[in-house]
Amino acid sequence: MDNNLKRCTPLKIIGLADPKVASNLRGSGIGMSVSEARSIAEVLGRDPTLTELFCYDAMWSEHCSYKSSRATLKEFLPTEGPNVVMGPVEDSGIVAIDDQWCVVISHESHNHPSQILPNEGAATGIGGIVRDVNCMGATVVATADPLRFGDPYGPKASKVRWVAEGVVDGIWQYGNALGVPNLGGDIVFNESFDDNCLVNVVSLGIVRRDQIIRSRAPPGAGEKGYDVILIGKPTDSSGLGGVTFASEALREEDEETNRGAVQIPDPFLKNVLFKANDDLFRLVREAGVEIGFKDLGGGGFTCATSEMGAAGGFGMEISLDDMHKAADFPPEVLSIAETQERFLIISPPELRDNILKIYNEDWDLPNVYEGARASVVGKMNTGDRFEVRHKGEVVCDVPIQHLTGGIRYQREERARTQSLAEPVIEEPQDYNQVLLKILRSPNIASREHVYRYYDTEVMGSAVIRPGEADAGLIAPVRGEKFGLALAVDSNPFYGRISPYWGGATAAAEAMRNVAAIGATPSTITDCLNYGNPEKPEAFWEFREGVKGLAESCKKLWLKGYENQPVPIVSGNVSFYNESPQGSVDPSPIIACVGIIKDIGKAISQEFKAAGDKLFLIGPRFDELGGSEYYRTMFGVTGANVPIVRFDLERDMIYAVIDAIDEGLLAAAHDISNGGLACTAMEMSLTRPAKFGFELDLDGAEESGMRTDTLLFSESSGFVLEARPGREARLMELLRSCHLEPMEIGKITSKRRMVMRRAGETLADLDLDEARMAWTCGLAEAMR
Amino acid sequence: MKIAVMQFPGTNCEHETLVAVKAVGMDGEIFRWNRSAGELSSFDGYFIPGGFSYQDRVRAGAIASKEPVLEALREEAARGKPIIGICNGFQILVEAGLLPGTGKIDMALAQNVMVSKGQIVRRGYYCDWINLRHEAPSRRCSGSFLIEKGALMRIPIAHGEGNLVTTTPGMMQKLNDEAQVVFRYCDKNGRVINEFPVNVNGSTESIAAICNPEGNVLGMMPHPERSFFAWQLPAFDPKKQRPDEPGPGRRVFESMKHYIEVSA
Repeated sequence: MDNNLKRCTPLKIIGLADPKVASNLRGSGIGMSVSEARSIAEVLGRDPTLTELFCYDAMWSEHCSYKSSRATLKEFLPTEGPNVVMGPVEDSGIVAIDDQWCVVISHESHNHPSQILPNEGAATGIGGIVRDVNCMGATVVATADPLRFGDPYGPKASKVRWVAEGVVDGIWQYGNALGVPNLGGDIVFNESFDDNCLVNVVSLGIVRRDQIIRSRAPPGAGEKGYDVILIGKPTDSSGLGGVTFASEALREEDEETNRGAVQIPDPFLKNVLFKANDDLFRLVREAGVEIGFKDLGGGGFTCATSEMGAAGGFGMEISLDDMHKAADFPPEVLSIAETQERFLIISPPELRDNILKIYNEDWDLPNVYEGARASVVGKMNTGDRFEVRHKGEVVCDVPIQHLTGGIRYQREERARTQSLAEPVIEEPQDYNQVLLKILRSPNIASREHVYRYYDTEVMGSAVIRPGEADAGLIAPVRGEKFGLALAVDSNPFYGRISPYWGGATAAAEAMRNVAAIGATPSTITDCLNYGNPEKPEAFWEFREGVKGLAESCKKLWLKGYENQPVPIVSGNVSFYNESPQGSVDPSPIIACVGIIKDIGKAISQEFKAAGDKLFLIGPRFDELGGSEYYRTMFGVTGANVPIVRFDLERDMIYAVIDAIDEGLLAAAHDISNGGLACTAMEMSLTRPAKFGFELDLDGAEESGMRTDTLLFSESSGFVLEARPGREARLMELLRSCHLEPMEIGKITSKRRMVMRRAGETLADLDLDEARMAWTCGLAEAMR
Repeated sequence: MKIAVMQFPGTNCEHETLVAVKAVGMDGEIFRWNRSAGELSSFDGYFIPGGFSYQDRVRAGAIASKEPVLEALREEAARGKPIIGICNGFQILVEAGLLPGTGKIDMALAQNVMVSKGQIVRRGYYCDWINLRHEAPSRRCSGSFLIEKGALMRIPIAHGEGNLVTTTPGMMQKLNDEAQVVFRYCDKNGRVINEFPVNVNGSTESIAAICNPEGNVLGMMPHPERSFFAWQLPAFDPKKQRPDEPGPGRRVFESMKHYIEVSA
């Protein structure tokens, strides 16, 4: 350290009693525990400065350091596989598509901010995730949003609807302006989300394997004194303490103060930054040098700089005076504010002028957005310190690896005890009314009301859109025939009954969804949304969910590689999703990326032609626990949650992929929420909604199963429409995959949906009346 | 034959528009807003693609219409060169007075208002595949030069402000009389039904696209570059089953090419 510089005044910790330290910390707005603060003072050998404490507070938050979750994730999750190019070490994971192209994927949550300021919170969620993907050198090609809202008909209905509407607005206003298509997502309503919505976001990018850019200081950066360059929006105080705020439970009385922790998004500036970044990537390729590139997200400037420096094994010296900023903020604010639309570059000095020209002149950032630009803010060195100066003082001087290393906690787990039972109910007399009610329920109704707000068409790459099938599909590279499929899933009602099966079924269903259009599951990401990990029951739910999810990935295998798991290359843990009223239902939200070699072979879910035969694969089991039927008709959860029969599940997924590849299927739809009955009805109701059907459930006969169980059990499976003339080959293929396909009916040109069993007509529903119920349900729940 | 695809801060359809330009055999490049406007005269035609130029500040298209490059485009339009504005590009052309072509702002693309049976059922942003009917005679307009009158086109829209309104007396009459109405929203059989969902955004007389009196400047809300290949079509369109074939929107790009060839 330069001896002419003085160190700024420290915050007293050493020698003080615990209550006094605690009050010093809280009084300064620092969330860390007293023992954490003491351990920092011990390593530094002195009292830390205010800026140092803020930096540690951010870096050691649950959000940045995974201090409660890391050990569990490492213990269970499979992160390696033959197609993995980069596992979960940086902002996004990367998986190979072919010899040349890779898909980049990231998956995050923005739950707390969205509950407080739904529009800004959800928009920032997209803004952050697309930066994570872009900073790997990738072109961002898709987003998707899994959303969980409270009960729109419950005691907090008006707040729930306000949050839901604001979140959807935030998503479309940001995503559409940015110009990245929204491939879908899902929405589930239930009362456990009344005070804690979940807003997860997934983003996909495309990059050539030899053009991946890493988020770390490249080799030689310290020896050659590489520049540290900050680009984008001028730093302000927005999002201050965002990661700390994300690492605590929400209390209503804190809402006012928490608003300041929500960041302000700007898709317009991001749109221009992305184009400038493309020029940066080109410059680097042409110069043949390696740079480090990272987005500024949680933990702000400190997190991006110190993580990149530490990952390269170097030290760095930063000058906050050289940073472009919106006003003269104190150093601790400049260090950890989560101002959006910023990136950090670590690059050789000889590129400096060219880089500054790209941002400040070619793309004219200062004139596009007031105060935005690229500034050189520091230098790499071969030391091991993270040193930050501000107005002639050293405000932070800490061992960089200690700052980024974080801490680990071994949390206690204890199984939640609950008494679960199957309800005793009468079989319905009038199935027409049951079906109409279920079609209209907010969790089954068509998602059209929401996805018409999303620009699914921008970039001109959409092949299968939201509402057309179980997964979305894009053709991201012109001239290439491959497509990327994306589906998300997690059923909170299953998680409530069994956090383990909640995790396992979420992964299995996401894979099934991708297979239903003909794509092969290639990788999984997880965003694990749970309550307070300091409570043993919540931590148990988390561990159970991770175990279940891992089990599905390990036992369903990467197609073509026996016994190799479907790898999990990216993810996020979101704890503290609880309020004094309780925690959210365990929600391990899964996204699955599938690859199809030829987009021309992909199929959608709507019925194609009258006369085509329908087949069921996946036998029905007595698994109505957590079902739409129990909930909508009887208001109960039940106990018999659907489980994953791993061998059967794998056989079904592989068989459907192969059948589509061979051109044997005209349509396919997986069985999930609402059971066999809803799956068949949705195939009929999906646009153009031209055909009815006649189901004969004798073909799906399970010995003595009740009709309502047969119709509504959510055991996994598929309904398949065979291409005419290919039925025999289809049966042969399915049987060769150890399946017992059941012919269950045919498509008709009559606009009626008919279900029969043992010669008796159970339901005979007018298609247009059913479609009205199905298309109204979501708008009614959200307006 | 060289085409400039204009790019403003916030534009987001320039790449796929350039792909379409090149796919019909024209040469083209993306032209950034802060390049010297004088360079524009060396191009033979222009696309102003969709997006949110300048964040839709003031009104959609309002800021971009004041850029020096728009002044240059006005001169090129006066020379008879074709200019096609798509979505936000249409909004910019209206704000610049290039459409309907009086040199003044004579209409607006206002917020979408979806009306059905006398009720407002929705407002604002909407993305879907819709149907267009070509209203002008062929050879009337640069961007529909090769399209027969009455021809139908399946194409997507994605906008929040596409509701064409004008308070200028006689303007609607003039647009109709002089065949400046190029496309209207219609159902799959070609019937114009002036309410949602067929009139998808509440636009006056279901108008989706207009040209200037000379026919060289076209503004359209739907996106032909997103309907350029059959594989881009929605699942329910039978033509999607032949993914390698051209899509309906390709005719707009072919039309511009032909228009330039004929004008040369």
